[in-house]
Amino acid sequence: MRKYDYINALLSILVALVIGGIVVAFMGHNPMEAFVQLFNGAFIGKFNFGTTLEKFVPLLLAGLAFAVSSKISVFNVGVEGQLYLGAMATAWVGFTFSNLSKVVHVPLALLAGMLAGALFALIPAVLKVYFRVNEVLTTMLLNYVAQFLTSYLVNYPFSGGTGVAQSPPIYESATLSRILLPSRANTGLFIALGVLAIVYWLFYRTTVGYKLRSVGLNPDFTDYIGVNSKKVILGGMMLSGAIGGLAGAIEVMGIHLSFLDNFSSGIGFDGMLAALIARNNFGMVAIISFFIASLKSGALAMERYTGVPKSLIDAIIAVFILFATMEGLFQLRRRAKKEKEVDEHVG
Amino acid sequence: MLDNIFDYTLIPSTIKTSTPILLAALSAVITQQADILNVGVEGIMLFGAFTAVCVSFFTGSWLLAVLAAIVVGLLVSTIIGFAHLKYKADVFAVGTVINMLAVALTRFLLNTILNASGSFYSAEIVPIPTIKLNFLQNSQVLNTLFNNYSLFEVLGIVIVFILWYALYKTVWGLRIRSVGLNPDAAETAGLNVFKAKFQVILISGILGGIAGAHLSLGYSRLFVENMTSGRGFMGVAAMFFGGANPIFAWIGSLIFGLADSIGNRLQAYGFPSQFVLMIPYIATIAVLTISLASRIRKEKKQKSALNHVPNNK
Repeated sequence: MRKYDYINALLSILVALVIGGIVVAFMGHNPMEAFVQLFNGAFIGKFNFGTTLEKFVPLLLAGLAFAVSSKISVFNVGVEGQLYLGAMATAWVGFTFSNLSKVVHVPLALLAGMLAGALFALIPAVLKVYFRVNEVLTTMLLNYVAQFLTSYLVNYPFSGGTGVAQSPPIYESATLSRILLPSRANTGLFIALGVLAIVYWLFYRTTVGYKLRSVGLNPDFTDYIGVNSKKVILGGMMLSGAIGGLAGAIEVMGIHLSFLDNFSSGIGFDGMLAALIARNNFGMVAIISFFIASLKSGALAMERYTGVPKSLIDAIIAVFILFATMEGLFQLRRRAKKEKEVDEHVG
Repeated sequence: MLDNIFDYTLIPSTIKTSTPILLAALSAVITQQADILNVGVEGIMLFGAFTAVCVSFFTGSWLLAVLAAIVVGLLVSTIIGFAHLKYKADVFAVGTVINMLAVALTRFLLNTILNASGSFYSAEIVPIPTIKLNFLQNSQVLNTLFNNYSLFEVLGIVIVFILWYALYKTVWGLRIRSVGLNPDAAETAGLNVFKAKFQVILISGILGGIAGAHLSLGYSRLFVENMTSGRGFMGVAAMFFGGANPIFAWIGSLIFGLADSIGNRLQAYGFPSQFVLMIPYIATIAVLTISLASRIRKEKKQKSALNHVPNNK
């Protein structure tokens, strides 16, 4: 990530906030007050800060999942689906095995989620590697398959028997401990940060990571130096899917404590956007996810205290991302300068 | 039970459920021909649906409503065009953001302009008219099969053939396709790639706006938060199914619509509809895989037949 990428992100935030402020003022509210409430709602008090962290964890993991796949030049749009299936597998382990100790049950449930996500991500990977089917399309379609499949499971065989479409609650032994009560933030935060560290280490400090990155840069070259690029892509996609599945697992074990039909509502897509803005830089994914999470949790409080609807903040987030994705927007002068230099060299 | 599900009324209900998908698919077809994967169709549609309901409610004119939806579609696609073509944003990212913006902004405007939350219905919303042919009313079967279609359920099919003609039989279409196949070559041949790509994005916006207006004023007569619920994506899938050919994309949309109709009917009998709803998605993946697998096999055969020719790859 280059220096002006950070500047670009910062300017995008500013522009989005200014636009948001103007709209708020136009609606007859005081924009300064709204922003103060937004800030308080995101950071001040255990509940508010906890809610921010609660929203941060799945965003970070989904963003990392997408960034990992992007590093190997695969566009895993299916994080949402992997998240659903991961959550389902975790919930199944959670409500099926009754008398396990927490030390066994928690890792088992997490692993089940990761495995389900990895296997589900393997489908588009195999289709891409061996049949050259566009993975953007397959993953996008498989998201629906995952959603319908889990919806069927919690409505029929695994129905919790309540009016709501959800699985039975998971046993206490499979839950992640809450931190910062009364919010729903949980120890999943540390798992997510651990994944961030592991992924960074894996990609930049190990030979496996070198292979993954070289496939992303040039698969033919990778084959040439004696590494099977197909296998590397399959492995990379499974890693991406496992992280997506883990995001779902933590949602079940730390937040909902059962599988709730349709619970994600776009976490996978939000994470994907965070990764896109961060240009797949792992550290930056964390920063952007945290920023989006604080806006989302702050918006809840802002709506409560000022009457500015939460949907406006969602719109502002979208505007921010829109600006942030436009690489060329805030560096026009810079590029003009560069082109001139190139011209001079050529000339 | 099977008789009740698979009777002739399935045909009109398939056409009705497939039309919103078809219009979205056509919107995706036109950009895909210029090698732009427009996933923003979903968002354009949602904007169009909201605008149409608003304008129809306030002015009482369905025609103005459709026109307004088209204008909004054009506006949104202009944003996509500038972001992608001028400011080099990844088109997939822009499309996803547009979808996100559409959900948030229509919800916001639903609260502020129409003072409603969740959904908006009013008797004052004027729907897009249906085509009534009086002479068919004597026969129940003919009446069900051929009568009472909403305007765009008929026009949608007309647009399929217009697009097909424009893309495959006109110079303009040839240019658009050549831009999609090889932009550098097209540029060398003197085509303005930027202009060509912007054109198809704008046309995509028009079609997406119509798709939205049809969804809220033809297919239904209300606005619900996030009412497109993946129909834009299904359109993109139908486009892929048809390999960006309008006619095959139409067939794809019909398959999606058929599965949707059967799913609705099965649900009435207590059969889990989820499995039926899954079929079109799995079918699309299967069809693509099979078609690509056979292409790969053919290539291999050709290669082995030309074994003595030095292989370029």
